[in-house]
Amino acid sequence: MKKSNMWSFKLSTASIVLIPAAVGINYIGKLFAGVLKLPLWLDAIGTMLASMLGGPIVGAIVGATNNIIYGLTMDPISFIYALTSIAIGLVVGIMAYKGWIKSIGRAIVVGLVVALVSAIVSTPINIVFWGGQTGNIWGDAAFASLIANHFPVWMASFLDEILVDVPDKIATVLIAYGVFKALPKKLTILYSNDNELEQL
Amino acid sequence: MKVLSLYQERDTIIHKVDPISKILYIIISIAIPIIMPYKTIGLVCMGVSIVLLLIAKVFKKVIPLVSFSMIILLSIIIIQGLFNDSNKTAAFRIGSIVFYKEGLLFALEICIRVINILCAFAILVLTTKPSDLIESLVRRGLSPKIGYVLSSVLQIIPQMSSTMATITDAQRSRGMETEGKLKVRIKAFVPLIGPVVMNSLINTRERAMALEVRAFNSKANKTYLNEEQNNSYNKAIKLILVILFIFVVAWRILI
Repeated sequence: MKKSNMWSFKLSTASIVLIPAAVGINYIGKLFAGVLKLPLWLDAIGTMLASMLGGPIVGAIVGATNNIIYGLTMDPISFIYALTSIAIGLVVGIMAYKGWIKSIGRAIVVGLVVALVSAIVSTPINIVFWGGQTGNIWGDAAFASLIANHFPVWMASFLDEILVDVPDKIATVLIAYGVFKALPKKLTILYSNDNELEQL
Repeated sequence: MKVLSLYQERDTIIHKVDPISKILYIIISIAIPIIMPYKTIGLVCMGVSIVLLLIAKVFKKVIPLVSFSMIILLSIIIIQGLFNDSNKTAAFRIGSIVFYKEGLLFALEICIRVINILCAFAILVLTTKPSDLIESLVRRGLSPKIGYVLSSVLQIIPQMSSTMATITDAQRSRGMETEGKLKVRIKAFVPLIGPVVMNSLINTRERAMALEVRAFNSKANKTYLNEEQNNSYNKAIKLILVILFIFVVAWRILI
């Protein structure tokens, strides 16, 4: 039997239970980064883990749920950034399925791609809601200096977002990769979609 | 059980309005300033939301929500006032630094839009119990599995936060440094997050089995523990909001 399609939407109970755990991990990552005062967000670890375990659709659902819950309980503007989280979940899920999380080098490439996609999706949202800024000190300082030198707004906003996203997403991918490799097979088997039969 | 929510328990009529009407209100109060782009409309919607918040006696609780975005709004005012591309007429000076009128007006527009959205959402979030909100959505057709996912996220996060406190203390008592140079703090991140993540993922297996044993996947019709609250004014509110919206759209098209 061959591996079933990565888009096959089999929302098993195991996948459903994975979603709250992944959102919790996102929240904890953000909390720890705050407590340790690290200059990164680290709020997508759970989304990436869920994508590596359950595929792009589960990852996308985790991303959407994450932002909906943040929007309801902390910061309503998070609702619209669900698009970015969904994009992250989809990208990591697709690349994981194609075998891009086999080594640290490949994982870093995944991180770069995710950072790029996340910046592309977030920039229009940033421009409409915040006039192009992102809320991060270093990024906004870069934005201010670019605008002062008459760069177009979309370019300044995009570079602002990339400056913050690249280190953040690469670190997130590496952490998620480390945890994924250390998970017992008993757990990863629950989510694997291939219907392969093993014969001696 | 502690649930992650901002719900404030009060006895006002806003609390008795059903959640779907509040969601409708949010959509309309965000859509109207976009459809009718006069600057005063945004202020009017914001004013209505603030009045509703005062009636619901939760206005003081909105301040922390707004101050969350206040820092970034302040930075927007400064950066747009100084560097916006279409800056021509000076508004005022501080020393040798000039703030321009166009940039400040643009920043003001953004601030009004953001605060309007925050106030409208605050009405929903501060006066509705999350379980009630999810139950109304499930009654209207949301899959009960997604309803479960939303409810359990709200319960899992406080649980994980307290586990985090325990694990931080445990690791610190074993000699892990959490303060100091950046390198030291980075090294502390993995031993803190590792146990929490592993624990929660391994627990998912147990949780999945517990749900299956309780017929989570059954296709039979689910029944509800609570009776549905159907006050007469709920229908009236929904009707008024929809009529207002159609009126605004017609105004925009015809004028």
